[in-house]
Amino acid sequence: MLRYIAHRLILMIPTLLAVSAIVFIIIQLPPGDYLETLIAEMQSRGEAVDPNQIEALRQAYGLDKHPVEQYFSWLFGLLQGDFGWSFEHNRPVSELIGQRILLTFVVTFSTILFIWVVSFVIGTYVATRQYSVSDHVATLIGYLGLATPNFLLALVLMYLANQWFDTSIGGIMDDEYRNQPWSWGKAMSVLEHLWIPVIVIGTSGTAGMIRRLRANLLDELQKQYVVTGRAKGLHPRKLLWKYPLRMAINPFIADIGSILPEVISGSAVVAVVLNLDITGRMLLDALRAQDMYLAGSFLMFLALLVVIGTLLSDLALAALDPRIRLGGGSSR
Amino acid sequence: MSDQTTRGPNSSGDREPIPHFVSDAPFDPDVEVVLTEEQEKYYMASQWKLMWWKLKRHKIAVAAGFFLIFMYLVAAFAEFFAPYALQHRDVRHTFAPPQSIHLFHEGKLVGPFVYGYSAERDMETLQKIYTPDPAKVHRIRFFCSGGYRGADYEFWGLFKADFHLFCPSGTRQPVYLLGTDRLGRDMLSRIIYGARISLTIGLIGIVLSFALGIGIGGLAGFYGGWVDNVVQRIIEILKSFPRLPLWMALSASLPAKWSPIYIYFGITLILALLDWPSLARAVRSKLLSLREEDFAIAAQLMGASTKRIIGKHLVPSFASHLIASASLAIPEMILGETALSFLGLGLRPPVTSWGVLLNEAQNIQIVVLYPWLMAPMIPVILVILAFNFLGDGLRDAADPYK
Amino acid sequence: MFAPKPLFAPALALALLAAAPAQAYSEAPSLDAEVKAGTLPPVDDRLPAKPRIVTVESVGTYGGDLRIGMSRARDTRMMTVYGYARLVGYDQDYNLVPDILESFESIDDKVFTLTLREGHKWSDGHPFTTEDFRYWWEDVANNEKLAPLGPPVLMKVDGEVAKVEIIDKRTIRYSWSKPNPFFLPAMAGPRPPFIYRPAHYMRQFHEAYADAEKLEAEVASQKMRGWAPLHNSRDNLYNFDNPELPTLQPWRNTIRPPAQQFVFVRNPYFHRVDQAGNQLPYIDRVLMNISDAKLIPAKAAAGEIDLQARNLFMSHYTFLKQGEKTEDFKMRLWETAQGAKVALFPNLHVNDPVWREVFRNRDFRHAMSVAINREEINEVVYYGLAQPSNNTVLPRSPLFEEEFQTLWTQYDPDLANTLLDGMGLDKRDSDGIRFLPDGRRMEIVVETAGEETEQTDVLELVHDAWFEVGVKIFTRPSQREVFRNRIFSGETQMSISAGVNNGIANADMSPSEFAPTDQVQYQWPKWGQHYQTDGQAGDAIDLPAAQELFDLFQEWQTATTKAQRTEIWKRVLEINAEETFTIGIVCCTKQPVVVSESLKNVPEKAVYAWDPGAQFGVYLPDTFYFDSATKP
Repeated sequence: MLRYIAHRLILMIPTLLAVSAIVFIIIQLPPGDYLETLIAEMQSRGEAVDPNQIEALRQAYGLDKHPVEQYFSWLFGLLQGDFGWSFEHNRPVSELIGQRILLTFVVTFSTILFIWVVSFVIGTYVATRQYSVSDHVATLIGYLGLATPNFLLALVLMYLANQWFDTSIGGIMDDEYRNQPWSWGKAMSVLEHLWIPVIVIGTSGTAGMIRRLRANLLDELQKQYVVTGRAKGLHPRKLLWKYPLRMAINPFIADIGSILPEVISGSAVVAVVLNLDITGRMLLDALRAQDMYLAGSFLMFLALLVVIGTLLSDLALAALDPRIRLGGGSSR
Repeated sequence: MSDQTTRGPNSSGDREPIPHFVSDAPFDPDVEVVLTEEQEKYYMASQWKLMWWKLKRHKIAVAAGFFLIFMYLVAAFAEFFAPYALQHRDVRHTFAPPQSIHLFHEGKLVGPFVYGYSAERDMETLQKIYTPDPAKVHRIRFFCSGGYRGADYEFWGLFKADFHLFCPSGTRQPVYLLGTDRLGRDMLSRIIYGARISLTIGLIGIVLSFALGIGIGGLAGFYGGWVDNVVQRIIEILKSFPRLPLWMALSASLPAKWSPIYIYFGITLILALLDWPSLARAVRSKLLSLREEDFAIAAQLMGASTKRIIGKHLVPSFASHLIASASLAIPEMILGETALSFLGLGLRPPVTSWGVLLNEAQNIQIVVLYPWLMAPMIPVILVILAFNFLGDGLRDAADPYK
Repeated sequence: MFAPKPLFAPALALALLAAAPAQAYSEAPSLDAEVKAGTLPPVDDRLPAKPRIVTVESVGTYGGDLRIGMSRARDTRMMTVYGYARLVGYDQDYNLVPDILESFESIDDKVFTLTLREGHKWSDGHPFTTEDFRYWWEDVANNEKLAPLGPPVLMKVDGEVAKVEIIDKRTIRYSWSKPNPFFLPAMAGPRPPFIYRPAHYMRQFHEAYADAEKLEAEVASQKMRGWAPLHNSRDNLYNFDNPELPTLQPWRNTIRPPAQQFVFVRNPYFHRVDQAGNQLPYIDRVLMNISDAKLIPAKAAAGEIDLQARNLFMSHYTFLKQGEKTEDFKMRLWETAQGAKVALFPNLHVNDPVWREVFRNRDFRHAMSVAINREEINEVVYYGLAQPSNNTVLPRSPLFEEEFQTLWTQYDPDLANTLLDGMGLDKRDSDGIRFLPDGRRMEIVVETAGEETEQTDVLELVHDAWFEVGVKIFTRPSQREVFRNRIFSGETQMSISAGVNNGIANADMSPSEFAPTDQVQYQWPKWGQHYQTDGQAGDAIDLPAAQELFDLFQEWQTATTKAQRTEIWKRVLEINAEETFTIGIVCCTKQPVVVSESLKNVPEKAVYAWDPGAQFGVYLPDTFYFDSATKP
């Protein structure tokens, strides 16, 4: 087991290095740099540009250096915990990301929880009633969630929430709680706003999970030991819960590696529409403004989140499934 | 199977036979098994035929398949199906609501028609209020040709024509079945033209994705060893990127000076770039197992080249899986294009795709005041559902020996 | 005992009166606690000896939180724009009046003597004196590390740097040998040049004043690459992103960006009072909520905002009107100041030589202008509320003449056809598109950088109109930066953008927008660049009409009387109208402004302009107040 963990951890390093290189290349692809974008914007607004500040900025932040040099200095900075400087916000990037991490976790975690619960319930239900009407209906609902463009759904839900529940427009909490310390009211306000993004993002993820769970469960239900159990008179519910389900749970854990990126990217779009204070919004703005250190660090952060998530899920799977621990393959 | 009398080791002489059953059906000792005609057909059928039969049983998948064929037909002949040309504007009817089709007017059967609008601008809210006017009967013509502004079109930009499936009777008798947008453009026509872009982006993206996936995955699966390792790492890296943020980053880097056509291809390339890993992985694992199969080894022993082995023997044996994954990947691309255009990073007007149309509708105002502008959402949902059902059916059918 | 008895009593009375703490001014109750505790001096000591007295329509009551919406965290600088505390500002008739300054004197626009108010203090209580001006001039603007490119353009006339003399703690003089008519109007702009700094605060970041070790430690802890970037990052009187930086604005920021909500609290040392002696501002706090630009109209319609104009457009009118019915706000329509809301800019420097010839021919520009059906565009895109117009000054401006606005704006496709035929472009192909002299079809690519759909919509209508007279256009949307660069380099044939910024100019304001003076003028970027770079880049003017405009602009700078300036302006506007260098389409669109029902002293009708006017600035938001009687 320890060897397995060590092996995976070591593999992570070249992966992350390659990711960082790719990210940096992508950020540098658009022509020009942040300062040029800034000047364009200010001039189009009729504002005078202070050339002194611009020039000083350019020299100070090495925007006049060669891109390879910039990459390595950024990389070394990353390793030391210095994520670079955000031109747009005039702050170190680490300050900006830090604030958003908590809320990103909250939203991502709630969404995954939602996906698990919903697909578990529906998946189990339909597996035991294959090809029945409810099977088709449930599948349909699952797919509907997948098919609906979630940004529009978010908009509609936000409007409805405002009309029916008086929820304020956009944001993760009411305006009045923004700068207040955590309190019961603030937590309630967050919950009030949270359900929209969770449902919107979650519904696209449930379809896949339902399918997987259903397929796995169906496989298991046809195996010999189930038939034996039923022949021996075991109560159907106990039969279902005690054995096949435990096997079928595997994909729930194993597939976090694929659900996580889905949820994160789904949340990026929804964050823009609903004005949530999480990574997606800021990433989009950073990409548009070519605030390269901020955008690059965000992408790295997201990729890291996924890699770690995959690692954790693999570890959990190994813990759950003795066959993996002992060196064999898993059932999927 | 027929049964034969057996003489056990303890049988002796001519005793009374123990009562048992002996079939007296005709018996040919040289043939082991006799098949009924049906069974004969079944066993002699090719792989594709088997797939088709299994698919036919999945009714929804078949229906979905037909629906998709219909959609692609519509996209191909958009100019014919859409009553109005893409650029046609009716400045007198901006933000007009959808008209419903009636058959009976004042008790008499008139044929399909809609009621015209009587419009008035509310000077306080500045909103144009439209009410159906029973005095104006606008008949709908079928298989008609010209006679109103907006009828002319250039089919795929190649030749001029003005033949439509259905049209209004004249310029002053508009038929807007899904209403109009802020410039007075017919939403139904726009959605039909939008299908052309949205549906083909998926197809082209798939082709690219397949080329990459099969090529790279094939090599990895076939050669194994370090090639396999490197490819695995690459796949892992690409998969650990959350898709949308990477799409966003790549789209933001598309030179904005490119013409819409180049941007279109650029977007499909970007979408495909992140899709091939899963395909490659599936191809690779399949190849790894199939490589050991007897028929593959036989081909190798007979001296077939690598290319021939992969191309003629291995790939067709899991072509069915490929088709199934394709049908599940296309909707991803359609949704991807929609999301990118929505964020303003994909296609932009004057190119018309469903994503662009939805971008124009992304506004609380639209939700409240002009909800029919969100209609492009419906074909998106239907097409994606259809692809998913079809994909499920194909996947179930892909393994006919199960 | 030589005390004249009859004078004793009154003398004593006078003495007593003088000794008693005479509270001449009143302050906000929210400050009472601090004053009582002694952490804040009483209001009389906080105000300058002679504060600026603003005459308000109705004397307000203190208190309340003003909620406004913005779309980016960088928009904290809008509070500097709205706060509008300036050395010299515009009043509501666009006359220059001293605001922070007690008085100013200008001799022929060559010598400016500025006098500060006695006892004026920064928001942290430290005195505001000419030391703050000296610090900026000597230690910032002329410091090589902080300003590698030298003092700003405003401080130079024809290359001559200003002569700065500090007369005493309250008086400072700037002089040049030639007139600098831009100096005072720049001070009154939405983004003023800030020729002063809070020296007592900034010194700790300057290598000449700070303790070397402490400075180094600070630089390292902030991960900066030197003291200059540190100084620059802290020194942002405009941006309002440093809560510790003292300010002179009515409210100051207390939240460090980035955040979703910024809280601006009152500046207890603000220098204005109303006519009843109440220290301004009335409102205690301004809450700036950051959300996506598309959500702001929704928030306004849901009653979550008290004062909003930015990010609201006429296309939101109906939606906001609906919100009015159920929420507590009213929507007002203010006028805008742009010379034209949209205008077309044929690029006189386009690389293509054939098109360049065509664009430089006045008849072509006239033809294309009369080919446009401005009424239709008005009806479809602007609800019929705008006015067809050239890109010129608005009726509101004292320089306005009807002819400037209407010349060549009538809808006359026949005239257009005649003019184009007269240019020799009379051959057409089977679609009806005309041919250029070299045989190509007349097809123009019009580029737009607009983020709202308005410009592409207008172009659709223009497309149809021009098609009728045989010219086909294609629309190409771009990102702003690419859009600009293509125009500058001559790749763009024609672009669409907003018209002149200042359509409400008077003779004392600069006519630079109407003459080739800036690269960002899309019709003649290279001539503008030539001027801006002193001839280093760009092209010299080679069109007589444009040369005349430039000469007039130079004349204006040295003109001494208002009459002279007015005459110059009129000639400038006349040439622009006759030449149609830019094809204006409509003007005078309205700006929706959402105002909470209980917010008072906000003008019912006003002009919403960036420069002059600073959007809300000239209307002095510090005089707005919540009427507690009607506050929900």
